[in-house]
Amino acid sequence: MRGDLIRDMAVLLAATLLLGTAANLIPARRLAWWGAGQQPPQAGVDFQWMDVHSANEARQALPNAVVIDTRSSAAYREGRIPGAIHLSYTDLGQGLPGELEERLRRADLVLLYGDSEDADTEQLAAQELRRWGLAPPYIVAGGLPAWRVAGLPLESDSEGAP
Amino acid sequence: MRGIVELGRHPWLHRILAVALGAIFLYAAHDKILDPRPLITIIWGYRLVPPQFTNLIAIYLPWMELLVGLGLLTGIGRRAAAGWATVLLVCFTAALLINAVRGINVACGCFSTSAQDVQNAWLLALRDLPMLAAAVLLTFARPRQQPPLRPGAPRSSPSPT
Repeated sequence: MRGDLIRDMAVLLAATLLLGTAANLIPARRLAWWGAGQQPPQAGVDFQWMDVHSANEARQALPNAVVIDTRSSAAYREGRIPGAIHLSYTDLGQGLPGELEERLRRADLVLLYGDSEDADTEQLAAQELRRWGLAPPYIVAGGLPAWRVAGLPLESDSEGAP
Repeated sequence: MRGIVELGRHPWLHRILAVALGAIFLYAAHDKILDPRPLITIIWGYRLVPPQFTNLIAIYLPWMELLVGLGLLTGIGRRAAAGWATVLLVCFTAALLINAVRGINVACGCFSTSAQDVQNAWLLALRDLPMLAAAVLLTFARPRQQPPLRPGAPRSSPSPT
């Protein structure tokens, strides 16, 4: 009986290895298998935190500030920080669009935000931008929920914003 | 004592626990399978695994959770699934307890892939214990066989219309 259990557990492990390997071969969701340099994003290295009020002042004061929304397209259309552009972390895997890369390189400030209730994709996106040779961007602490709570301005597609 | 042992072998208790635990594992796997990348941050946050291994865990753990959930729910390879559930829950609980002792509250990564979802590590470990008990029971206590129906015995009482 114990032999059966060990055999069945080995089969389940083999199925896991098979499925995990196959899923990780899909380019859009690929992770590096192994090796140093794959550390998760770290504050102070890959990005800096910025509170919502400082972020709001900085985006208005700096003429070349770029604000990036890393949430889903639907959430972006529903409501975003004024002037924010949408950039999904998955899209970054395909490379930065040339125009955007140029804009980011010239930016006085790159500010990313996400939805802290969802996932920390903004941190991963910041790390990806760093890997593209850009200066560490800033991330809005608390993301859009904190922005909303602070009562700061938002725009949406229904208001005719771009 | 004998009553507790008998209860632990009750087939219906096994079914209920397997379905409940299976559903929990499926729910836990859902977000991680859709996008395993945020899981790296979570695993890193435990400060237990060398950086070289974090990606491997993020690649394979969600699929293990999925298969464990399916095994428990469907009954196909249920004991093996329960066995892996035991292994996983022992690892999760140990990781949480180590961080609780260190005084670090971690983002659990249990049902959400948000690294900002930091909770009290002691409470998270405590939450794992009933699930661990269920997994151990399903792995090591064999359910009592249902007595066969007597020939000629009615299968169900007819309902008056």
